[in-house]
Amino acid sequence: MPATTENNQGSFLGRISIRRNQVLSMDGTHDQEMEDLELFQKHVADRFSELLSSTTEDSSGDALLSISWLRRLLDEFLCCEAEFKAVMLMGRDPSQIAKPPLDKLLPEFLDRVVKSLDICNAVTLGLDAVKNLQRLAEIAVAALDTTPLGDGQVRRAKKALAGLIAAMLHEDNANAKGTERNRSFGRRSGNNAGSNSKDRVRSLSWTMARNWSAAKQIHAMMSNLNAPRGAEASGLAQPIYIMSTVLVFVMWALVAAVPCQERNGLGTHFPLPRQLAWAQPMISLQEKIAEEWKKKEKKGNVGLLEEMQRMEKLGQSLVDFAESFQFPPETERLDEVKKQVEELGEICKRMDEGLEPMQQQIREVFHRVVRSRTEFLVVLDQAGKLSAPTV
Amino acid sequence: MEMSPENNDVDVDVGRREDTKEEVELLERMVDRYFSGKVGEDDEGEEEDKSLLLFLDAVDRISKLSTSTVISSDEFDQINLVLEKAMFLLEKRLSSLLDQEPKSKPSNKSFSFRSRSRSHLSSIYETQSPRPTQQYQQTQDPFNYSPQRISTLNKISTAMIAAGYHIECCMAFAYFRRSAFKNTLQTFGYGNTKMEDLYKMPWESLEGEITSWNQVVWHCTTVLFSAERSLYESIFPNQPSIVQNLFSDLARHVIIHLLDFAQGAVLTKWTTEKLFKFLDMYETLREDVVQGSYLESCEKELAYEINTAKERIVEAIVAMFGDLKNSIENDNERIPVPNGAVHPLTRYVMNYLKYACEYKKTLEHVFEQGEGEMRNGNEKCMEVDEAEDVETPKNSGFAVELMSIMELLDANVERKSKLYKDNALRYFFLMNNGRYIVQKVKGCRELNELMGNNWCRRRQSSLRHYHKNYQRETWSKVLDCLKPEGLQGSRNKVSKQLVKERFKCFNGMFEEIHKCQSSWMVSDNQLQSELRVSISALVIPAYRSFLGRFKQHLESTRHIDKYIKYHPEDIEVLIDDLFAGNVGSMSRRRT
Repeated sequence: MPATTENNQGSFLGRISIRRNQVLSMDGTHDQEMEDLELFQKHVADRFSELLSSTTEDSSGDALLSISWLRRLLDEFLCCEAEFKAVMLMGRDPSQIAKPPLDKLLPEFLDRVVKSLDICNAVTLGLDAVKNLQRLAEIAVAALDTTPLGDGQVRRAKKALAGLIAAMLHEDNANAKGTERNRSFGRRSGNNAGSNSKDRVRSLSWTMARNWSAAKQIHAMMSNLNAPRGAEASGLAQPIYIMSTVLVFVMWALVAAVPCQERNGLGTHFPLPRQLAWAQPMISLQEKIAEEWKKKEKKGNVGLLEEMQRMEKLGQSLVDFAESFQFPPETERLDEVKKQVEELGEICKRMDEGLEPMQQQIREVFHRVVRSRTEFLVVLDQAGKLSAPTV
Repeated sequence: MEMSPENNDVDVDVGRREDTKEEVELLERMVDRYFSGKVGEDDEGEEEDKSLLLFLDAVDRISKLSTSTVISSDEFDQINLVLEKAMFLLEKRLSSLLDQEPKSKPSNKSFSFRSRSRSHLSSIYETQSPRPTQQYQQTQDPFNYSPQRISTLNKISTAMIAAGYHIECCMAFAYFRRSAFKNTLQTFGYGNTKMEDLYKMPWESLEGEITSWNQVVWHCTTVLFSAERSLYESIFPNQPSIVQNLFSDLARHVIIHLLDFAQGAVLTKWTTEKLFKFLDMYETLREDVVQGSYLESCEKELAYEINTAKERIVEAIVAMFGDLKNSIENDNERIPVPNGAVHPLTRYVMNYLKYACEYKKTLEHVFEQGEGEMRNGNEKCMEVDEAEDVETPKNSGFAVELMSIMELLDANVERKSKLYKDNALRYFFLMNNGRYIVQKVKGCRELNELMGNNWCRRRQSSLRHYHKNYQRETWSKVLDCLKPEGLQGSRNKVSKQLVKERFKCFNGMFEEIHKCQSSWMVSDNQLQSELRVSISALVIPAYRSFLGRFKQHLESTRHIDKYIKYHPEDIEVLIDDLFAGNVGSMSRRRT
């Protein structure tokens, strides 16, 4: 059900009498505007619908929260953002975006944008940590890929995998501790299999500022996120609300997927009103992700990144194999393991190909929203000047 | 050399196996010894070094053995097991060597990034160089690895890589070097600031952060990066690709982290007083931040990031000039400056521009870069008079901006002058402010270049115009008193009464002017004396001549001093009281 109806009069258009079919002095600019707003809504809905459909069981598309899916999500975000900016700014009188309720809504949106910058940085750091998990997995793959497979290689693989799994479980807590480093080098017995690896991954990346929490940041971004009602719903308040929601959703999904500082308490409830048509696909996605999150939260926080999940499973299975390994190994067992090692190698390859581009996309998001914020501020400033008394 | 069991040298074969077993056991013993806790910390000791060499030697021999086809599969397994243990130990050793505290903790004082005085608005009167002083170049490098340590690192790394453990090796380096950089930057007072914090930071704090950032970036991208490159080159002398991977990964991470600060700083509100610090930031990034080798793989990306940061700064700077223009335009004070003095806004703007011109080259780049970006503001100022001759400055974006600021300032001064009811004071005010402006421009080489000689000439001619008007408004009536005509009374004789009146009139007017205009303030000494001289030149000859001609008619008058109050010399003295900013008194007289 579209939020605008024919006779609904947005406040920003309130100066001139409007009815959709009425021809204005500005030759149909109003029609154009309404159309643009509706198109924007529709495009958002379409984009998220696509993202949703690729995650269904029977589709061959990108799995939910896989690297490639997240990259598509980021792309869609950039598209939404570009359209949003066009709708708000192109061919518009600056004073239009400075009038109530936009005079409050727009600065709130820009405030969310600033908050999202820190999330972008945290996620980028988190992806660095994932890169290191990839390296640990690569060690295991290299070790287990040798023939003949000996005790030495298996031990090497086991240490790497143990470190990998431990890192995944402890990632968030470790990062929250900041600069505290494990000084266990050389002091423990050789059986402390994972000590090197764990330390390699834990607090590997530069952490965010102490006491910063991704969960809290997302929560703060959600404050005051209310759907416009009544007359406001057909004006520019609507696209602002939509874009805000998209922004928060994307940031939330990234935080859920990628290990970043302090995600404990990440909210799974989204204040999205169910009756909004354009929001349906987003709501479904959000529910799916929330479900996964709740499941994992019980076990201890793991990034929901699909590749990481699979890595964890494979890792665990290979660790089991390593623990029960005896030289010389049985062929059937070896064949099983070979398949798993191949799969692990595949995941590493995906990560290798996808993580850096994803980091660059996040950078692009960062830069784009900063630029847009500037443009909005400039226009708001102009509007302020126009209404200020001049000599 | 391959040996088959059918070979006659079966003894050699057995012998070889015996050797192998021995080798393996030797290595195992060494490994166990290390495991039992002998791994040293400060290991520069010769003993440690020797035993390490022996260890590595054994590892090398065993590795070679493992590729031989002579050994049984059991032996093969054993060899591999012991090799793995050895590698694990080597990795630990590597880590402990890399995980060092800096030899001596640098005290915060030696860097004193924060000890610079915080600049407030009055920093317009200070010049601050963004370049670090000599002091920083001499600070100790916390990455001081002794040649021995480097040699050890090299040996261990080589062994690990030869055994196929290059991932573990590189991961250790990546981890510890990143930590080292992070800790170093923290000692410089440069920590992890969030974008949101930077956005909300009050300017006094942010200013200080920017100062320290400038220096950190400089130090990092020159001193520290060089040291890092050398470190990798000496540890991996024959592996340029490893050097490249390690270095570019680290450098990229550090640089983007540093750039994020600039991105955050730019989020703050763009007001005029922040200009100079932002110019410093821009200048820091203009230097070849990404210089040197091994960054080829991420060159494009880094260039993009740096450019983007610069773009943000440019936007901010251009907007700050816009803010300045707004302030000038919207300054609608209704109270005139007392005594026609130079208006504080005139002072502020001219000093601001003068100090901005210290960054002239940078600003020209900024405005060139910003030309396409900001759609508003500069448009109307782009129309420069085409009929200008050779002496007009080039139309650089910055010059154009400067021109428009001056125009706005002129308009502002003009507006303010209209607040004066007294026309004489009005012209006086215009003269005063105009003079101040011209002097500021002439006193600053860059400003002079940018405004051009034509502008100066035009200014000076309008100053002369104001001067003339002032004279007319103030002194024409006074001079009328001293006109030799119109003193004839009846019978075409000079009327004593009229002469008396003239003198009285002159005295009254003169005294009034003296009382009033002594408190008028001329800031420029030269202008002050010019004015006095020109008034003297106008009034004194006229007075002297009038006095000379008509004095005689009052010879027999009672109270002649009531009329002939002053000698010409007295007038001169009194004129010297004018424009001194003091309340005039008549008590000064040359006796």
